[in-house]
Amino acid sequence: MTGRTAIYNARLLDPASGLDANGGILIENGLITDIGVGITKATTADVKIDAKGKALAPGLIDLRVKTGEPGAENKETLETAGDAAAAGGVTTFIVMPDTDPVLDSVALVDFIKRRADSVAKVKVLPTGGLTIDLDGAKMSEIGLIKQAGAAFFTNGDNPVEDAGVLRRAMSYAASFDVLVASRPDTPSLSKNTVMNAGAFAARLGLRGAPPEAEWIALERDLMLAETTGVRLLADCISTARSLAAVERAREAGVKVSCSVAAYSLFFNELDVGDYLTYCKVQPPFRIETDRMALIDGLKRGAIDAVVSAHDPQPTENKRLPIADASYGAVGLETLLSALLSIAIREDVPLLAALKPVTSGPADLLGLPQGRLAKGAPADLVLFDPAAPWACDRDDLSSRSKNSPFDGRKLEGRVLRTWVNGATVFERG
Amino acid sequence: MADYAFPHRHLLGIEGLNRLDIETLLELGDRYVELNRSRVKHANVLAGQTLVNLFFENSTRTQGSFEIAGRRLGADVVTMPIATSSVKKGETLIDTAMTLNAMRPDLLVIRHGSSGAVKLLSRKVDCAVVNAGDGTHEHPTQALLDALTIRRRVGDISGMKIAICGDILHSRVARSNVACLNVLGAEVRLIAPRTLTPPGAAEWGAKVFTDMREGLKGCDVVMMLRLQQERMDGAYLPSAREFFHFWGLDEEKLSHANPGAFVMHPGPMNRGVEIESGIADHKTRSLITEQVEMGVAIRMAVLETLAKNAPEIGAPKAGAKR
Repeated sequence: MTGRTAIYNARLLDPASGLDANGGILIENGLITDIGVGITKATTADVKIDAKGKALAPGLIDLRVKTGEPGAENKETLETAGDAAAAGGVTTFIVMPDTDPVLDSVALVDFIKRRADSVAKVKVLPTGGLTIDLDGAKMSEIGLIKQAGAAFFTNGDNPVEDAGVLRRAMSYAASFDVLVASRPDTPSLSKNTVMNAGAFAARLGLRGAPPEAEWIALERDLMLAETTGVRLLADCISTARSLAAVERAREAGVKVSCSVAAYSLFFNELDVGDYLTYCKVQPPFRIETDRMALIDGLKRGAIDAVVSAHDPQPTENKRLPIADASYGAVGLETLLSALLSIAIREDVPLLAALKPVTSGPADLLGLPQGRLAKGAPADLVLFDPAAPWACDRDDLSSRSKNSPFDGRKLEGRVLRTWVNGATVFERG
Repeated sequence: MADYAFPHRHLLGIEGLNRLDIETLLELGDRYVELNRSRVKHANVLAGQTLVNLFFENSTRTQGSFEIAGRRLGADVVTMPIATSSVKKGETLIDTAMTLNAMRPDLLVIRHGSSGAVKLLSRKVDCAVVNAGDGTHEHPTQALLDALTIRRRVGDISGMKIAICGDILHSRVARSNVACLNVLGAEVRLIAPRTLTPPGAAEWGAKVFTDMREGLKGCDVVMMLRLQQERMDGAYLPSAREFFHFWGLDEEKLSHANPGAFVMHPGPMNRGVEIESGIADHKTRSLITEQVEMGVAIRMAVLETLAKNAPEIGAPKAGAKR
């Protein structure tokens, strides 16, 4: 990075400061060095980019991404996930530990960092497995793995069933003030289910996961977070009652934050419709009142992070009867468009829609990016907040194409993405 | 102080002792240190009395220390081999106590794996009982020997900053030491990962730390605790190496304590887990072998003091309640 780059004539959107105004920014050595409201012309910069009034926001931070690397590179590699992220305006993503082998050691966390540094276009941070091999029995070397660079700790999609193990792991993690993420689920209630439990699943003749599976585990997690003092991220909550539980605990002083998958804000259980395996995800699409409650939470700023829950699955895992198909949906490339569509359709202010993908997750992890601020890394996304487009899975950059947005109409599209001031994606 | 009458029949714990009780024992201990360093180590204060060591848990140093202490005082010392005894044949704890009591010992030294078991036995026998460690509750003679060791090195314990580090949760040594050092006016700090910090430890009269460097700042004495192997298998701690990295005492971490701070360990040590060899063997800073020496002296002081206090034992209580 030599010289100075100016992006001017942009609609600056910075959820951290609440800025929504026309202006420009100056980039030097990969950092944002100046922000000027009202700047519609560049004068002194070496590279001048006219944003033509489009929106310029901090690059997105996605707290929940799976790739297939290591162990299942046919699904996705760190490189292809990086391409998908760049195309989706995501400039930092966090990979889950559910790989083969599991990210439960210093060496593997270090591997992900080094590998991603050399092949991925965007910033990638590994998580650490909370328990060895995600077996829910023995805690991993949380202190050493944190020092190796794990962003937070989680058992991924293998919830820790033993409350004693979870309590001790949380308690130990609290020694290091690390964030522990737990996707609340009770496997004895949700095992082998296909979609949300209820009348619709019954009519389709499909096994459903009852929302209690989420509520029971969440209430347990909240109680353990309260007594251990750990910082808890309630990962991918999907119901109105879960959000209320998180807010109640937060008011009572529990150090809890929550994330919601973008698909939980966009779809409801009816979208599973004609046995669509791309819509088989965990947690499942819930009922419309749940979706509306989550959108209300988004408007109120009650949701700390919206995640893509990117989980690539190759065709052979999805082109099956729905009961036999794998869970998971890709989402990196559609994360921003999904949020922008929701913003338009459900009347969510743009800054409120962007906060849980920028400064919200950045603050949870203590990252300098995710904001338009002097001295912050120039990780940026330029987008048209209202441009309509239709998602075609074959156009996605991911190695796997299992998107529930396939064939859907969306509003809002990424035009250009920068990481540390360097362009990593530009729509042709 | 020489004519202070120690008011307790048993030594079941530090809890319940006042400063005078503790200092009386320490002063007598001091005198026995001198005796133990002379060529003829005999004092006949317990001549004709019977000391029974009853160790339900394996022990080398504490059991040996009590045996030597008893013998040097002239008592007849019997150590019951519990591992091969009637306990293995299914006798209840109380029956064992009643049986032993019928043999009319004068002093009974008991170690048991269950917290409260020694106290239970003390209610069933007529002789004086010394708690040589009960479960994760108390180990009073360890705390007394630690206090004696520190006192002989630094003089007044009052106002000293003393850190106790490691597996506080499962440590009877820590519980007794916190109580003892508090009574003697020290500022006690507990340093451990959260999983090994007992709930409510902050109300023990000690400051609680998870970060060892922060906790050791300004400390005059660092007491390390033994970490049981079975705690390191992923339940309380992920691994021995992680424990050593964050809570094992090495040169670097010790440098955060006061210059010249002393290092103690109740033994047996796990070198490379809770303590680095170079520190354990340090010529001027490690007091670890000195602690063992003080152990014999303080146990002599305890045995003599309790024996003096014992009432004349009459006929065994006929049909005493079991």
